[in-house]
Formats: sequence, C-alpha cells, structure tokens
Amino acid sequence: MSQEENNGFIIGPDDLILVTGATGFIGSRVVENLLARGFRNLRCFSRPSSEASKIEALSNGRRNGVRLEVIRGNLLSPQDCTAAARGAVVILHLASGRGEKSYPDAFVNSVVTTRNLLEAIARHKCLKRFVNVSSFAVYTNTQKSRWRLLDESCPVETHPELRGDAYCYAKVRQDEIVAEYGKRFGLPYVIVRPGYVYGPGNEGITGRVGISTFGVFLHLGGSNIIPFTYVDNCAEAIVLAGLRKGIDGEVFNVVDDDLPSSRQFLSLYKQNVKHFKSIYVPHLVSYALCSLWEQYSHWSEGQLEPVFNRMKWRASWKKTRYSNEKLKARVDWAPKVPMTEGLRRYFEACRSRIQSA
Amino acid sequence: MLRVAIVGCGKIADSHASQIRRIPGCEIVGVCDKEPLMARQLYERFPVKRCFDDLNELLNEARPNVVHITTPPQSHFEIARCCLERGCHVYVEKPFTVDEDEARRLIALANEKSLKVTAGHDDQFRPAARRLRTLTQSGFLGNGPVHMESYYCYELAPSGYSGAVLRDKRHWVRRLPGKLLHNIISHGVSRIAEYLTSESPHIIAFGFVSPFLKGMGESEIIDELRVIISEEEHTTAYFTFSSQMRPSLHQFRIYGAKNGLILDQDQETLIKLRGVKLKSYLEPFVAPAIIAKQHLGNVLANARSFLARDFHMKSGMKYLIESFYRSILQNTPVPIPYREILLTARIMDAIFAQLDARQSRVESHDQIAVHAAQSN
Repeated sequence: MSQEENNGFIIGPDDLILVTGATGFIGSRVVENLLARGFRNLRCFSRPSSEASKIEALSNGRRNGVRLEVIRGNLLSPQDCTAAARGAVVILHLASGRGEKSYPDAFVNSVVTTRNLLEAIARHKCLKRFVNVSSFAVYTNTQKSRWRLLDESCPVETHPELRGDAYCYAKVRQDEIVAEYGKRFGLPYVIVRPGYVYGPGNEGITGRVGISTFGVFLHLGGSNIIPFTYVDNCAEAIVLAGLRKGIDGEVFNVVDDDLPSSRQFLSLYKQNVKHFKSIYVPHLVSYALCSLWEQYSHWSEGQLEPVFNRMKWRASWKKTRYSNEKLKARVDWAPKVPMTEGLRRYFEACRSRIQSA
Repeated sequence: MLRVAIVGCGKIADSHASQIRRIPGCEIVGVCDKEPLMARQLYERFPVKRCFDDLNELLNEARPNVVHITTPPQSHFEIARCCLERGCHVYVEKPFTVDEDEARRLIALANEKSLKVTAGHDDQFRPAARRLRTLTQSGFLGNGPVHMESYYCYELAPSGYSGAVLRDKRHWVRRLPGKLLHNIISHGVSRIAEYLTSESPHIIAFGFVSPFLKGMGESEIIDELRVIISEEEHTTAYFTFSSQMRPSLHQFRIYGAKNGLILDQDQETLIKLRGVKLKSYLEPFVAPAIIAKQHLGNVLANARSFLARDFHMKSGMKYLIESFYRSILQNTPVPIPYREILLTARIMDAIFAQLDARQSRVESHDQIAVHAAQSN
C-alpha cells in the first residue's frame, strides 16, 4: 500500500479489520484484497463448518508480520459476536442469510445476527467504520418510469413483506437496523449494495435473466440491462468502502461498466458454456403472468405462494439503467476486471463445473 | 371470536399464522418470542394484533383462549404448563414434549383444569390421510391391522433447517435425546400409534450415522433408523427413517385380514389393495388396470381440491386446528386422542433409549479396542 493511498484511508495497515462471512464467495475475495493492499491484522469470522483452510492459506507465503486470525462461531451467539468484534477498528459485514426461502430463516440469519454484532460493537468505542453489505434486492422500482436510472437516491421497498422474497425483506430490515444503531450510538457505517455478483464460485444464472422453475428456461430479461458486478470488483468496492475517509452514513451501489443486456448475456452463455432451449417471454406477458399469479395467490389464500407478483416483476424485470458514478467519485473505485474478462472467467468456471458434475 | 396466540416465531410459526387466518371465527391476538425482532417480523407479516417478548405479558395483556406453542421442543413443557395454569387451551407443535413423562404431566394438568391440548401431528389430517382413516373405520381392512409400514424420510440439504443443524454443533436439535430424529419422526410414528391397541408394544430399534454424514465428519447425528414394533402376537409394524434412500418416501402402508391401503403423502394419494386375487391371467392384466384407475381417481380428487382452493401444502394443519378449535367451542372430543399422543411419546422414548444404549456399547467397545492396541 503506497503512502499516498494510505493517506486517504481511515486506518493504518496494522489496525484490526474484522471480516464476517470471510469464507464465502465474496468474503474470501475481500480477505485476499485486504492482504494484497498490505493490511496485516485481519480477523476472519466464519461458521464452524466453513472451509477456513482457504482463508488460512492466503496468509501463507506472505512476508512475516501478517496476523490472520480465524474465529469460528455463530453470529446468533452474543458471546461469539463479542469475541469477534473485540478490538476491531473496521468491520466488513458480509455474513447473511442468502438462499433462505423462509422469511424467519432469512430474517434470523441477516437481521438478528447483524443486531447481535451491532450490540457487541456498541460496547466498545474503537470502531471507525462498519460496512454493511446489502443488496440491490432492497430497491423498489414501483414508481419509476421505464428506463429510469436506479441509483443510491432511489427508494427501498416500504413493504418488503409483500414482495414474496424473504431475502429482500431481510435485507431491507438489516439496512434499517444498521441505520438505527448508527443514529442511536453514533456508529459510523457505510452501506454497500452490490448488483448481481458473478464469477467463479457462483455459476448460476441470475433470475433477472430468466428462470427455469417450470422445467424450461423462460427468458424474462430480454433487452434489460443486467446489473452485474464481478466478484473481485465487488470485493474491491467493499474494501474501499471500509477504508475511505469522509463517507460515513453513505450508501453505494456496486455495478461494473459495460453491462450487457439479458439477451446478450444469454447468447454468450449458450455460446461459451452450453446450449439449452429457452423461451423468450415479452415484458408485457411476464407482467400479466406475475399479476395473475399474485391475484390467484390472494384469491386462493396462499395455495400458491405469492413468489411472482408485480412488485417482484418491477424489481427484477422492469427496464432499468444502473449507475456506479457515486462509487467512482466518492470511493475512487474502478472495476479492475473488465466485463469481457470477467465473463470469460465466469464461463470457464461454468464449463469446469459442468465437466466435473 | 376465539382469541389465539402463537409463542415462538420461527419457521413453523409462519405455517400456523397462515392457516389460522384462513379459519373464520378466530383472530391472532398476540405473538411472542423471547427474541423481540423475531416476534416483530411475524407481527409485521400477518394480521396480528400485538407482539411480545415475554410470555407472561402475552397471557396478561392479550388474554388468549388458545395458545399455539411453536418453540424448540425443550421448552414445550414449561410454556404449555404455564399456559394451562392460566386457563388457555394449548396446541403444541411436534414433538409434543421431550419425553412421555412430560406429556403425561401436561395431559393430566389439562384434564385437571378442564382444558384441551393437542399435538402438531398435522400430516395425519391431510386429505388422503383422512380418506384412509374413514376407510379403516368403515372396516375396509377387516378386523384391524395385521401389519403396518411407515416411511418417514428426510432429505438433508446444505441450506435451511438441516444445514443449520449440521453446521452448528450447539444447535438445539443436537441437545434433544434423539437429536435430528427426535424433531422429525413423530409424524411417522404417530401413524402407527393410531392403530396400536396395547399400551406397551415391543420395540426393537436400530440406527446409525449414514456414510454420507460420516464423510462430512458427523458422528452424533443418527440419520438412518429402522424400527420393529410388535404387539403380543397381534399387530406388527415397521418404521423407517432415512436421509439417504431415494425416493425419499413419506408413506404409510396398512394391511388387514381382508384388504390393504397405501397412503403416499407426497403424491397425496390413497390406493386400495384388494385382499382377494383375481383368477389366473386376470390378476396381471386387470389388477394393474384397477390400480391405474385408482391413481387417476386420486389425480382428479387432487385437482378438484386444488380448484376448490383446498389443496394448500399445510391443509392438514388447517384441518387439525379447525378440529381442535371446534372441540373447544363445542366441548367435543379432541382430534388426536391423548392415548395416541402418549403412545407416540412412549415409542419414541424406547427408540432413543435403545439407540443411546447401542451408542454407549459401541463407544466402550472402541475404548477396549484402543486399550488392547496400546498394550500390544
């Protein structure tokens, strides 16, 4: 880390940084990024069953003086949170209940865990920054006209419980509780909201492109721009959001440059990974189907869960543009891995995964 | 208007709240969880009047007639006892209590207070299960069952409930006497208990940690269980729990002296097995056609239920809750006889005691082997 760069940071290389969710898809890249920047005092918090070996391996081969501590525990335990937060100057909070379909599970693993960590932090005063990793899922697109820009000034869902998406609900409430603790305890925080994070380790196709729920791939994105961010670029944004001076209380969206449309992405995926049959569903039709599903769900008292509805459609499939201008201007971030290279690495990982399956 | 409260706001509480709101003549007057955020999230998402993080406050201020207990099983007894003492009827999620002794004490207390309790064995009230009960009560099997087979399998997944149990060595499921089995098998065991007539059936249980789980470094969670249950030279039953066999069955097969029945919970089908074979070549040609016709009948019945908005994933729970509320309001018998709740608990106690004893034997055998190896 150069002296010039260091001057723009709120901490020095020997200050303790805690990374929760450190063994996860993004978390492991965050740790790698911090080590590459010369930070020498890291604490990685991971679940007991996580593969901490890959994190421990990161510190091997580096020059002496790197202190990388791995704490295994559960953020649902206040004691574990206290142990994790003790002495931390910057906390990059990536752990969350991603992939949980039930509301209580998503909530407990995102909101209760975050509250426990915030409670532990509130007891000591040495914290300089808490970075809460949120998601694009929190934004509502309800009142925006087509093709309008989605940026940090856009509103989040006011009734996330109605969207039929447990992850959205949990993330909205998680952001709220961070802001509440920020206000109550003067906790310096930053919220980072990545778009769809892709790369080796996450070989799925985002639902913004389409879904295969009904046995055939329904292409719903069409000409929509997909808010991709390559995992290394996202990790860089999270790290910088934890370090940069003068951004407390801010929210930053993370998307890369040169974003492809859904149709372009799908075509590239088929060319580079595997060909499969997909059916394009025009926006008007997908909106009508989501509306019908919503009405049926309501009429049938939940015989079909309201997983498809107009709020979901607006958040996932309405035509929208995205901006990373604030992140570039305030955090001095730039996507180091260009879209073409990111997609190349991603497609290669997809091919490897299919071959090894 | 029946005033209902829910204590414990985890995943299963969502199902309770969803089904209660479909029942006319009742309202959820309060939800309670010792974690205030969890109580709050349930309150936010359902038509609930108030949320609490203290049971006494809930009982004092919301004044429910019925309390649904959806907390981890270790707390069922104390919470149910407290609710009964305060004059509330109680619906306790499965497993009813940690053991038979607690179950017996709760039922005695309910009787003493002239209140009612039930256990969350809602799978037994799904549409096909109700058709099975109607047929057995009409004498379709002959004079009671000769043999039963209950399959209650469970697919382990990296996310969700099982993932949490496997990841977290301090998870509450691991502190139950029967661990993972304890929290799941009561559905399958109670199906057998319903048709047993003796109070103390003979139990032989064999369980082990599957190679799949052993490969993950797991040594304490038994996920393969086989049980033989027998009444004195009368009725026998097999119970199977497996995380590894495919398909992952939820079936109940019951055979009488005259006929048999196969209930498939996943497919929501009930198939009648004729006791008398057809003559000669008619059996391989006509009998499968009769079975096929029954399957078609099941498809149509399911489609009719779906179109009538009565095919919810938790339709059995709604039926059980409605039946329980009716028994309260009309002072009629409870939907699940107390004898069945107690017998289910007794069978489970016997299974876990045998698994525990076997585990102790294996451990002491291993220790002897280690000592022998060291002395050599």
